Amino acid sequence: MFNVQRSTLKGFLLLCVSFLLFFTFNLLPFMFHLSFAEEYKFDVSETEKKPYHVGGYIEFYPVLFGLDKNAALYKLNFYNRSVGVTTELYNGNLQLEGSFEAGITRSYIKTYTSYINSYQGETTRTTVFEGNISVKPTHSFIAEAGKKTLNWGKGYAWNPAAFLDRPKDPNDPELSREGYIVGSIDYTKSFTGPLKTFTFTPVFMPVYSGVNDDFGEVGHLNFASKFYFLLYDTDIDLMFLTGGSNTTRYGFDFSRNFGSDFEMHGEFSLINGFTKNVVDRNGNTSQSTSTAIKYLIGLRYLTKQDTTFILEYYHNGTGYGPADMRDYFSFVDKGYAMYTSNGNTAMLNKAINLSQNTYGRMNPALNYLYIRISQKDPFDILYWTPAITLIGNTDDKSFSLMSELLYTGITNLELRLRGGPIIGTRGSEYGEKQNDYRIDFRMRYYF
Amino acid sequence: MRKILVVILFVLATAMPVFAIDGTKLLEQIDKNLSPESYESYRKIINIEPDGRKKEFTYYTVKKGRDKMAGLFIAPASEKGRSTLRLGDNMWLYIPNVGKPVRITSLQSVVGGVFNNADILALDYAVEYNVDMVEEKGKEYLLQLKAKTKTVAYDRLKMWVQKDKILPVKIECMTEAGMLIKTLYFKDIKDFGGGIVRPSVLETDSPLYKGYKSVMIFAKIKQRSFKDEAFTLTFMPKMESLR
Repeated sequence: MFNVQRSTLKGFLLLCVSFLLFFTFNLLPFMFHLSFAEEYKFDVSETEKKPYHVGGYIEFYPVLFGLDKNAALYKLNFYNRSVGVTTELYNGNLQLEGSFEAGITRSYIKTYTSYINSYQGETTRTTVFEGNISVKPTHSFIAEAGKKTLNWGKGYAWNPAAFLDRPKDPNDPELSREGYIVGSIDYTKSFTGPLKTFTFTPVFMPVYSGVNDDFGEVGHLNFASKFYFLLYDTDIDLMFLTGGSNTTRYGFDFSRNFGSDFEMHGEFSLINGFTKNVVDRNGNTSQSTSTAIKYLIGLRYLTKQDTTFILEYYHNGTGYGPADMRDYFSFVDKGYAMYTSNGNTAMLNKAINLSQNTYGRMNPALNYLYIRISQKDPFDILYWTPAITLIGNTDDKSFSLMSELLYTGITNLELRLRGGPIIGTRGSEYGEKQNDYRIDFRMRYYF
Repeated sequence: MRKILVVILFVLATAMPVFAIDGTKLLEQIDKNLSPESYESYRKIINIEPDGRKKEFTYYTVKKGRDKMAGLFIAPASEKGRSTLRLGDNMWLYIPNVGKPVRITSLQSVVGGVFNNADILALDYAVEYNVDMVEEKGKEYLLQLKAKTKTVAYDRLKMWVQKDKILPVKIECMTEAGMLIKTLYFKDIKDFGGGIVRPSVLETDSPLYKGYKSVMIFAKIKQRSFKDEAFTLTFMPKMESLR
């Protein structure tokens, strides 16, 4: 399955490693203050507060994909294109943030501009990720209106109870995401005793033409709420969403530290009246409606050697089992066979349509496992963090395995090199992905 | 002979209270001298590598009572807006890009370097430790401290304290088995105003990070009261409004 075009891969790796070496050994002396014997200084003028803030980051993010020409999703995406065994994608991203504070009022905006150059051509797009105004008359009461991300849930790679957020990419769970236009209130009360904190967060979310219209059925004012408790040293959230754009759903999450090095968390959601679209190997579609349950259980553990383990198991009750996934991939294969024999794209077009929000979404299957192992400062070398991440479908035993090296030793600069194979048998989720492997390099500068 | 024995016993019996130092009260006094019960302050945290290269962070902190502490990174740009919260044994980190607080543990480090979260978000020593033993060593007391629970980052501390100022000079942090994890050095006693006189520099090194050093410089320590709700997850993204 690994047909690597060696010259392209070598060139790409050389580019990434050159960047790493150049920054590490050539620019370092200029970016640090070489002042070994210098007295410690703290210029308190650095602490002066300004009513406004402008910041963000700029990044260069090239990606190399090793294509799997026998995979169903390769056939679906590349059936009418001629590409080699690898394809590159060059990203340049700019995230800008600004805020202004006056008395009890604060306004905030975050924009994301992305330049992409790939086999599909060049695109540049600017999106307002967040833009809102908040009023905080007391520490207990905060009212906000505008575009924002709510980020509900405790999971690291997945958040089945994040009813008002766009899905996370488990390959990069800490990436900023675009929010929705909402109106919300946070009312918080602290106590002494086993219940230390309580927060009530009601949220109104309009879904009309031109306003949040990708969230669900338009023409509804949706209402959601979250109730947070810090009870017996455990974070507990109860949440629900109702209103018509999506079916009513209920959620629950928790997180707790056990000892100085161990954290455990979980998340659960129940979705009423979920409609699932299924296609068989011949392209016949059917629908079924049922109550879907999603849940996640996870932990973080830090060893004495500073190795961090993040482990999560995710049951995605709205996803497809291995037989359903196999049927879909068979249908794509049939569509491709039809296209190659007579040029008819009808079946492939149907498969593409079916992939929208179903088989083609970020995590379409039923059961997943996420394991991330990272080692802080190996061999006592500060600011280098190697890591390895496995994301796998536990039903068909297919997975992606990414190795990573992160360097944060230069103030405001972050360098990350990642790469790894995507492994699975024919008919399995990862085995039918369009790529055999992926290598990416991210150079991000904060300002 | 009996008379001599009675005299010796009498002398010992009357002398004992002079030497029996109340370790718990001494530790509480150390906590009181290090910081007011409720205050705000600024810190510069510097990680220094063996070749002298440095990485610096500017950090605003607020504390209330014995077990509530919160902090906000104001520099460098890559860390700006990150906030931390500690309520007793519970710790969270808020990263603006991630958009929600996540639980962290005391042995992790939000800044890298030799300081871990327990050092950066340190509570009063008397909250986390019992005094096992107090010895007098010339101009210093030597306190042997034992963690009250398993959730505390260091199981044992050896604390050298200046007798005249009742302020720590050096603390050795150890595991249950007595292995040295790091040493904290308290330096440069400074008058911050408002009756707060305490070391302005906290230095640390560790046999686990040979040649590396981390330093915390304190500034603008000021007594200030806060509402309890400032120490909640909901408030973490809004911490800048406290400054």
